[in-house]
Amino acid sequence: MSQSLKPYLTAVRHSLNVALCLQDFPSQVVERHNYPEIESKKTAEVLLNPMKISRNEKEYVLIEPSINSVRVSIKIKQSDEIENILVDKFTRFLTKRADNFFILRRVPVDGYDISFLVTNYHNESMLKNKLVDFVIEFMEDVDKEISEMKLFLNARARYVAEVYLNTFD
Amino acid sequence: MLLLQPENLLIQKTFTKAFASDYEPVSLDRIITDYDFTAYHISTPKEKTAILLSLNIKCWDDLVQHGTLDLLESIYSKYSTFLSILSGDNAEPGYNYSLYVDLSKVSLKTAEEKSALISELSLLKRNCFAAPFLKTFARYEVLAKEQPADPNNIYGEEARKSSKEPVITLHYRDNESIFIKPSNDRVTVIFSTIFSDETDKVFSKVFLQEFSDARRRSIQKAPQVINSHHEIPLEIQSVEKENKDKKKTYITFVLFPRHLSTEEVKWNTITQIELFRSYFHYHIKIVKCYLHQRMRFRVQSFTKILNRARRDVSDEELRAERKTASGRRFEALS
Repeated sequence: MSQSLKPYLTAVRHSLNVALCLQDFPSQVVERHNYPEIESKKTAEVLLNPMKISRNEKEYVLIEPSINSVRVSIKIKQSDEIENILVDKFTRFLTKRADNFFILRRVPVDGYDISFLVTNYHNESMLKNKLVDFVIEFMEDVDKEISEMKLFLNARARYVAEVYLNTFD
Repeated sequence: MLLLQPENLLIQKTFTKAFASDYEPVSLDRIITDYDFTAYHISTPKEKTAILLSLNIKCWDDLVQHGTLDLLESIYSKYSTFLSILSGDNAEPGYNYSLYVDLSKVSLKTAEEKSALISELSLLKRNCFAAPFLKTFARYEVLAKEQPADPNNIYGEEARKSSKEPVITLHYRDNESIFIKPSNDRVTVIFSTIFSDETDKVFSKVFLQEFSDARRRSIQKAPQVINSHHEIPLEIQSVEKENKDKKKTYITFVLFPRHLSTEEVKWNTITQIELFRSYFHYHIKIVKCYLHQRMRFRVQSFTKILNRARRDVSDEELRAERKTASGRRFEALS
């Protein structure tokens, strides 16, 4: 783990721990409705201050807490065209399977690659510290996965080229 | 399977069966496809013992201009006792070229002779495409004699005179072409190719970079590969006027004398270079496929991590929790 990754992840972990204090909160606007307040944003007094944690200008996390839901959006590092494509493919792959991921938002928040939406119901059926663990592990693994895929692509291209050119002997 | 096979497997199988000693004649009607919009038709129009193999190639007219008919004639005429060549108007309607094999008259004795014929039949497409290459190679030999290559100028500028040599163009796919150009010390083969998918385009850059680098790194014997993504290479600027929307990618292979030295080497070079486009596109698809698999696996492992977070409260446990002091359970009202 590189020098700057650890403090970054620690900061995200603590902020998430703080943000994930959720309680049931029926809508004050429509009777007998119960929205994630962070999504509807109709009741200003239950929204808390959003937090943005940046590792550098290309990698940052936005945590938007509210009384009954927290939205976590992640921007994954993309330094070139290939990483761009890989990240795009990977996040699309995940969001298409959002059903299995309960807390995954089908569409990321504008300007981010992937978003999670944790509501008080999720918090009831899942352990809070494990949820935080999941987000942190996800952030770690995605970076690793993207760079591994990129390396694989290069290695494969090299191998393919060599095999083809070797046939000319 | 890393390298693509130049022969057509289905044709090979069909004829291996047909030439076997225990072959029972059946009526055939098979349409077989190959790379680059090539189609074969294997049929038995009259008797069951006579097989008609027809071929349709998209750029047939280009090929005929460069002597494909003569080359095919020279390859297949040695079997003329039982194999008749039908070309031009005699070919099966809808196809460019037909070979009519009468099995009852086959006079091949040894297994080697038979397998040689089978491989020639299954390599029909390669043989068709070989003619323009052979023509260029022959022209290169003439040029090389007229003006021997300057040993100090192998990688340098082309000689003035040979830059006026005509370029052979094969429009082998809708908007993609092969250009072949002889010179006194080299033969240049240029492919133009289009990627319909944006991702493929980006991946292709990685691949082409490796193709160009491979020679510098380790494989000294290979032809030089130069790629240019949007600009039309100098050699073909006379025939390729514009690159519409900058869609086309050009890949240049520079074949050096070592790739054109003997008959065997020449054929090997032709076989390999023809397959380049298919090989290239095929491997881009494979990489995508692999990455997809990998993502699928990764998503599964993420699901596992998330599932760890769930509180496992089964019905059984719920029931077990709700006991009275004396140990009696509450029964759920249903």
